[in-house]
Amino acid sequence: MLSRVVLSAAATAAPCLRNAAFLGPGVLQATRIFHTGQPRLAPLPPLPEYGGKVRLGLIPEEFFQFLYPKTGVTGPYMLGTGLILYFLSKEIYVITPETFSTISIVGLLVYVIKKYGASIGEFIDNLNEQKIAQLEEVKQASIKQIQDAIELEKAQQALVQKRHYLFDVQRNNIAMALEVTYRERLHKVYKEVKNRLDYHISVQNMMHRKEQEHMINWVEKHVVQSISAQQEKETIAKCIADLQLLAKKAQAQPVM
Amino acid sequence: MNENLFASFITPTLMGLPIIILIIAFPNILFPSPNRLINNRLVSFQQWLIQLVLKQMMTMHNLKGRTWSLMLISLIMFIGSTNLLGLLPHSFTPTTQLSMNLGMAIPLWAGAVITGFRHKTKASLAHFLPQGTPIPLIPMLVIIETISLFIQPMALAVRLTANITAGHLLMHLIGGATLVLTSISTPTAMITFIILVLLTVLEFAVALIQAYVFTLLVSLYLHDNT
Repeated sequence: MLSRVVLSAAATAAPCLRNAAFLGPGVLQATRIFHTGQPRLAPLPPLPEYGGKVRLGLIPEEFFQFLYPKTGVTGPYMLGTGLILYFLSKEIYVITPETFSTISIVGLLVYVIKKYGASIGEFIDNLNEQKIAQLEEVKQASIKQIQDAIELEKAQQALVQKRHYLFDVQRNNIAMALEVTYRERLHKVYKEVKNRLDYHISVQNMMHRKEQEHMINWVEKHVVQSISAQQEKETIAKCIADLQLLAKKAQAQPVM
Repeated sequence: MNENLFASFITPTLMGLPIIILIIAFPNILFPSPNRLINNRLVSFQQWLIQLVLKQMMTMHNLKGRTWSLMLISLIMFIGSTNLLGLLPHSFTPTTQLSMNLGMAIPLWAGAVITGFRHKTKASLAHFLPQGTPIPLIPMLVIIETISLFIQPMALAVRLTANITAGHLLMHLIGGATLVLTSISTPTAMITFIILVLLTVLEFAVALIQAYVFTLLVSLYLHDNT
């Protein structure tokens, strides 16, 4: 409280310290060590991460530094011991039943803090880190999502560049199909025409053959008709005489 | 000796000024309010603790009962912190005074009961008669249940007062015994001192447990009545 009085007095004397007065009772050490720039209220100035250094959990380090030039390293300890013995011997501090409960309570507290203090501190730091990690994860997920969207967009743009291949292929397919249809129809036309022409040719051949056969039959008929009976006998006799002659000739041959 | 035994329970004054209000308001500055996303260790630890207690205590209530969350959590934090601070040497514990505990218990209990009677009159009246009682016993039982209902705030206050006061007195007495025994026979004094240490451990536990019990019972009365 006295420090606040000092600070308000200092604030009226030096306006640059006015904002510092709002920062609370611990500000005297804080102004010396932490506040190097302009003190500001918004955004909130960062809190000091660790408290000032203390010895024996109670007495700030600055007290030891204050006494060091005059009394050396053991000075403050001698002062403390002397004070305690003085209070005890003069019964300024009376040993009552409360003293023993004090010893037990303070002893218990010191033991528990020394034993479990660091692990509890780590646990709490973990809590805070988990909080930050969660938010960080959300941020990273959002960034990743946007990056993925950008990649997708780029890929699709690249695909659009290559679209003409697709169209070329389709065009080629259609041209081939047209060609095939054209050739099919051409072939059909050719076959039909050939069919008609073959028909005419075969008709002609048939007529030719029929005429030939008819002529041959007519010639044979008339030849057979022209052979009279007399002629037939003469011919047969001549044939028999020829055959007898041939037979004689034939018989003569193997004897030799 | 007689005067000294109860000296820690008188209304504290500093140079003639009663500072009881300051002492009751003191634990408030031990719970800084979180004003950032990531706080320092003390505030983070308290946040985690309060969240744990909240989840444990308020899951059994319905929507109407959960409107009392702030009240109940403040209650348990206040009673717990005042009890724990009272273990420090030469300190005054407000919860040793019956007046203060009555001032906490009666309004809370009355609030719960009156809420129950206002909104669910039939159900609240039905609490006066447990299920399955034989018919001849009904008048007796209603009277007994009424007495049991009206004793609830008294029990709440007196339980807290008696536990904390008894603990402080016992520590004082055993400390006194140790003090006297040191000049008579030191080993006995050592044994007594060990007893004192064990008692201190118990007192730490009791401080927290009493806070819990008080709040739990109020929340139970609330549950019955919402």
